[in-house]
Amino acid sequence: MADSVSAAPDGPGPTSPKHKPIDPTTHTFSRPQKQISGPDDVPAWEKSEAYQDLLGFILTLNEAVKDKKISDNYPVSPVIQKLVEMLDELDKWLEEIPPIEQPQRFGNKAFRDWYARLTERVEELLKNILDEKFHSAVEELAVYVTESFGNSTRIDYGTGHELAFVAFLCCLCKIGVLTEEDYPAICLKVFDRYLYLARKLQMTYRMEPAGSHGVWSLDDYQFLPFLWGSAQLLNHKRILPKSFVKPDIFEHFAKDYLFLAGIKHINQVKTGPFAEHSNQLWNVSGVANWGKVNTGLIKMYRAEVLAKFPIIQHFLFGSLLTMKPAENPSSPSSS
Amino acid sequence: MASSYPMTSAEQKAGRGELEGWIEQLMECQKLTEAQVKVLCDKAKEILVNESNVREVRSPVTVCGDIHGQMYDLLELFRIGGQPPDTNYLFMGDYVDRGYYSVEVISLLVALKVRYPDRVTILRGNHETRMTSQVYGFYDEVMCKYGNPNVWKMFTEVFDYLPVTGLVDGKVFCLHGGLSPSIDSLDHIRAIDRIQEAPIEGPMNDLLWSDPEDMMGWRPSPRGAGHLFGADISEAFNHTNNLSFVARAHQPVHDGYQWCHNKQVVTTFSAPNYMYRLGNSAAILQIDEAMHSTFIRFDAAPRKPNEGRPHSFPDHMYF
Repeated sequence: MADSVSAAPDGPGPTSPKHKPIDPTTHTFSRPQKQISGPDDVPAWEKSEAYQDLLGFILTLNEAVKDKKISDNYPVSPVIQKLVEMLDELDKWLEEIPPIEQPQRFGNKAFRDWYARLTERVEELLKNILDEKFHSAVEELAVYVTESFGNSTRIDYGTGHELAFVAFLCCLCKIGVLTEEDYPAICLKVFDRYLYLARKLQMTYRMEPAGSHGVWSLDDYQFLPFLWGSAQLLNHKRILPKSFVKPDIFEHFAKDYLFLAGIKHINQVKTGPFAEHSNQLWNVSGVANWGKVNTGLIKMYRAEVLAKFPIIQHFLFGSLLTMKPAENPSSPSSS
Repeated sequence: MASSYPMTSAEQKAGRGELEGWIEQLMECQKLTEAQVKVLCDKAKEILVNESNVREVRSPVTVCGDIHGQMYDLLELFRIGGQPPDTNYLFMGDYVDRGYYSVEVISLLVALKVRYPDRVTILRGNHETRMTSQVYGFYDEVMCKYGNPNVWKMFTEVFDYLPVTGLVDGKVFCLHGGLSPSIDSLDHIRAIDRIQEAPIEGPMNDLLWSDPEDMMGWRPSPRGAGHLFGADISEAFNHTNNLSFVARAHQPVHDGYQWCHNKQVVTTFSAPNYMYRLGNSAAILQIDEAMHSTFIRFDAAPRKPNEGRPHSFPDHMYF
């Protein structure tokens, strides 16, 4: 069973007073590698520094976006803008690398060309965003970026790829590229732009959902827009959980709320009654208030994404997100 | 019509009528009780334990791919392919997970197997394992429908007994996933000790998890289990074992079925509009007495009102 949120990792996140940024001029970076090889490694992962850092980061951003709309005023630093521009650049490539017409099993093989271009250019793109003192981190950061958009062989995308992008953002905080004042914009500008690109890739190249639980999933591809999105709506006077299934609500408010943008997208791509094709989300619409939705989704994320070997076996560990045992691990999320 | 088929000894113990009643009920998407599932699973193990790792099947037979709990689409498959046992069937695994009706689908297929053991063949897929079906929905569905995991435990024991591969008239090799670098011949497969939870690596794992790919040779699979194998591997395997082609499933196909490796391998997928999202057609492969292959494509079954999803789920455990 999932643990309660009160057993969350010690400290709000990677740049809390307890965690000073890593000095990139003295730190030894390393290329992230797979370190989880079997289900027996999952308990060690749950007690690791990487687990604490990622979960702490997700919870920190969760706090930062409570009751905030995407169009609200919050700091948008030059680095945030450059990250959004980088995602804009990746988006442009879709026009330059259109889907190919030949018969194929399912996913469009043109995705492999888009992915190859990303692998080729990612380090250069990151060097354009980061000050020179951070360039020693680029090789390590680049791996998380290339893992964020799906698997090139299988032409699929899932919550593990979403987690890789979060790992990238977390690492940027750990080395001091992003700071506490960036937290709202990390979620509501950068992650929002990332989602827009991920959805476009999924649809353009007809990517398979990777490891979806089908009707037992919250969604076939994404989880965090619903988790953070429920924080955005926490005390909204008019939009209650029961409202989000209504087309006039999600159509009108999707541009300001990650949760509603997620619902709008699902309704565009799935056919049939919502209660049938998205039963888990339909169940969420029956929860009394957004506070309960938010704590419930955090528990669910810990149990269904972070604790599941089929997803977490693909996570890559470098020098910033490590399998070393954490000093004050939170309780494991499932027995 | 039913009386022309001989009873197995298992049926003689419990009564053919009872089994047929269960089949009829499951065809209406009504699940069995836990006690009935126990009887069914015990009978199934008695039959399956005697089956080879390479189950030999005579044509005519209709070969089917993944179902994944999509009960209404399985019923559509029977309408299109013919009702069992009038049509012989060979299913290539992945009966459970992801859909709403894993319980009813697996119960129905196992009941059909027990009632018509020579007309129905059910192979093991990578989802017919404890590790996978605990994550991807079957376990959760059993908890919702029965309030405890016993039915899941009973079926996962039956999964251990399912043969891993089938062979139609010695020429069409059927399995869920694909080939293995540890296996050159069908005799290698026959030698495997299969009655266990599927290992997380090795030849049995490969048979359930591997995928053909547009390449040569072998690579580890990006799935994290099994291998990718190239056209040269398929050609060599088919040549060595005197096969016409390999029929497998395991991957969704937009048009229901897809040949690859110069027609050495065909992927067939039998869950249409997979997960309500993929918009794919499904297909089944009909092999006639002369070993001619015909594919039939079909789409998701039209739903009557109130069909498609269970009427109520208990409160979600996270909220």
